[in-house]
Amino acid sequence: MDFLQLGSYTFSSRLILGTGKFSNTTVMLEAVKASGAQLVTVALRRFNRDQLADDLFSPLKALPGVTLMPNTSGASTGAEAVRAAHIARELSGSSFIKVEIHPNPQHLMPDPIETYEACRILAREGFLVMPYISADPVLAKRLEEVGCASVMPLGSAIGSGQGLATAEMLNLIIRESNIPVIVDAGLRSPSEAALAMEMGCAAVLVNSAVAVSENPPEMAEAFSEAVAAGRKAFKAGLMPKSSSAIATSPLTAFLGANP
Amino acid sequence: MITIELNGKQQTLPPGSAINDLLSIIGSDGNTVAIVVNDRIIRPDKRSTHLLQDADRVEILVFAGGG
Repeated sequence: MDFLQLGSYTFSSRLILGTGKFSNTTVMLEAVKASGAQLVTVALRRFNRDQLADDLFSPLKALPGVTLMPNTSGASTGAEAVRAAHIARELSGSSFIKVEIHPNPQHLMPDPIETYEACRILAREGFLVMPYISADPVLAKRLEEVGCASVMPLGSAIGSGQGLATAEMLNLIIRESNIPVIVDAGLRSPSEAALAMEMGCAAVLVNSAVAVSENPPEMAEAFSEAVAAGRKAFKAGLMPKSSSAIATSPLTAFLGANP
Repeated sequence: MITIELNGKQQTLPPGSAINDLLSIIGSDGNTVAIVVNDRIIRPDKRSTHLLQDADRVEILVFAGGG
């Protein structure tokens, strides 16, 4: 079998699903089931007695084979992210933490300095640290060196649907990395997820593309199939590119040709 | 009565209230929430004995949707 290895955890699915932006919890749960995702992200929020349906812990924990990966969304500094990680671990019971520190709501780009510092602390404390980062090969390597379980560079801005705008940098990160590279953010279509996998990404994380589609469970399944196809193609090995045509059929001894 | 700050809003409680009493008042069974009092995480096994004080800052957090 071809498993995704993150710390001591193994997953047969290479699609990680976010749980934000769905129209309601029922649709989100159907999408998670249809996606086959075994790792799903959640965010910490204040309890609101008027919005009890926002509490996703029980419904997600009831899904067999699903592990929660809390994120630190809302943190704008490393210290806030570390604090959020400690609280999240109390709730989730798992050591997964998606470190997400974006101080500017206009573009939601991750702060590399605060992210590095938070990851360094959390990895030392035994968390399975999954940092959301810009597609920066140098930062990715530094995060690997401090003990992150993976790096999660963005394909493009969160929720933008701009796809793999960072493809060249992603290639550099994949080439240099000894830990799983997971494209997080910006994907719009299953074909982009397949392409990311063909490039050698270990997994993709998708949220908006599924949640705001007209039929989230169907789109979740489409992403699942695309990720599986892309992974299979990567493992099979893509043919080399050529700048000129190379015939697939014999061009000699055709009917009526001179001997 | 004492007044605490609960998730950024003022909340009055009878003196000697424990965290579990607060959870009852707000209608939470406590199974799916994390509790932070004055920046310290209070584990579930301490919620019945941790008494809240006047001016305590209490955060009650849940997992919501997020990517």
